[in-house]
Amino acid sequence: MEKRKTILLLIIILFSLIVVSFILFPYQHYLILSLAIIGIIFFIFFTRFEIRKIKAREIVILAILAATAAISRVPFAGLPSIQPTSFVIITVGLVFGAESGFLVGAVAAIVSNIFLGQGPWTPWQMFAWGTMGLSAGLLRMFLCKKWMQCFFGFIWGFVFGWIMNLWIITSNAQNFSWEFLASVYFSSISHDLAHAICNVVFIIIFSTSWVKILQRFKRKHGLLN
Amino acid sequence: MVISMESGFRSYHPYVQFCYYLFAGFLIMYFNHPIFLTSVLLLLILVNLSHDGGKALRKWILILVIMSAIIILLNPFLVSRGTTILFYFRGKQVTLEAAMYGITMALFIVNILILFISFNLILNGNRFLYIFSKFLPRTAFLIMISIRFVPLLKRRLDQISEVHLIRGMSMTTGSLKSRMKNGMLRMQILLTWSLEEAVQSADSMKARGYGLGNKTSYIPYKMKKRDWSWLITLCILFCLCIAGGTLGYGKLMIYPELGTLDFFLIDWVLFICMIMLVAFPLMIEGREKIRWKFSR
Repeated sequence: MEKRKTILLLIIILFSLIVVSFILFPYQHYLILSLAIIGIIFFIFFTRFEIRKIKAREIVILAILAATAAISRVPFAGLPSIQPTSFVIITVGLVFGAESGFLVGAVAAIVSNIFLGQGPWTPWQMFAWGTMGLSAGLLRMFLCKKWMQCFFGFIWGFVFGWIMNLWIITSNAQNFSWEFLASVYFSSISHDLAHAICNVVFIIIFSTSWVKILQRFKRKHGLLN
Repeated sequence: MVISMESGFRSYHPYVQFCYYLFAGFLIMYFNHPIFLTSVLLLLILVNLSHDGGKALRKWILILVIMSAIIILLNPFLVSRGTTILFYFRGKQVTLEAAMYGITMALFIVNILILFISFNLILNGNRFLYIFSKFLPRTAFLIMISIRFVPLLKRRLDQISEVHLIRGMSMTTGSLKSRMKNGMLRMQILLTWSLEEAVQSADSMKARGYGLGNKTSYIPYKMKKRDWSWLITLCILFCLCIAGGTLGYGKLMIYPELGTLDFFLIDWVLFICMIMLVAFPLMIEGREKIRWKFSR
């Protein structure tokens, strides 16, 4: 309980610091600001994970799910712009809940970038995949119907791309114009559409069996309730 | 006493290296004066050359050049803010300010990407995780075992693929849908196989006492005197830069009207501080080269 209070206090301090810096800086640094906000969100989830009571089994299962999500690009290396990572993260969120979904999404992004190279996109990718798993977990009572899942996956195909575009937009906020915004988002549309369709196809064919496998496993070992 | 096989910038403590990348990245985002950014670009290229002779940089160079060319050429036509009008294009004004902004934007993105190329060479794997293991031990542990699982899963995936090939389920022929289905089936087999194995490794961890006390780990890095002195120097330089930056120096006013490119006295002070900060790896490598030369 003591720990929780200090963490709450820390979060409040960090948020007020951000607000103050926003008012005081004469030149508005939206990129630094957005990275600070993302950092705080990670901080909240990771510290919750640190102080939670957790079994060794659960940590290892989270790790293997993140590794599975990260490696799932490998069999599809010959098929450009097809990757089931998002599908894996969504199913993890559906079965194991919001927090595990966030952790697996964020860790999968770090792990795959350790092999492919970190870049300025790493925090955004962590954030996008993390919130994808988080939202799948939060909305899971609405997502029992398959068409709802397909809709969810389709929407996230686009939202993921939109979040990833944000790092270009926020780093050039002074330069903002609607044409600039439109050109950035228009150039990513084909890629986002491919991502969305991929998610839908994988959900139609595989979501039932994947959810069943994970659910059975969760019940058998009594994990991550 | 740990004898490290690495020399130069690589032999420094991960904290010092991380602070260098953090500060340099922050300053690249913070200052937008083209002369600042251009000199940082030159220094960062030299830093990359000092790491591996520019091998990693060479793979990126074409992408970087094309990307910055697109940004510089496209920005004046997409954004029509600014007051100094150069000419009209299809009834829209093309301004000097937008052209200038395109140049600073291209410099900024190229700088950040080159900084990350260097980051990937220096702070890879263990060093990167070590930084977080102090603050977030369990998260760092989670990432660590997850990284360890990747080669294991890859090996298993190869075995599954071989069996699939014999059964005639291919990833290279057939319709797109059947290929996607085959690929995902391999992932599903991998999942069921690995989940059971994961429980076993977790049980073996538990049997060896995981979770009984605080987690300890072998730490191959130690803060030496030179690490401390460099860390403090970097911090002072960074604070000076930020202090000057909050006063508005080191920045170019672009919108609504292009400010002057001239340097004031404090601009020079900031410029020198920033150059010293960014050139930190070069100074270390240079000093070691000189020592080596005179030791013979």
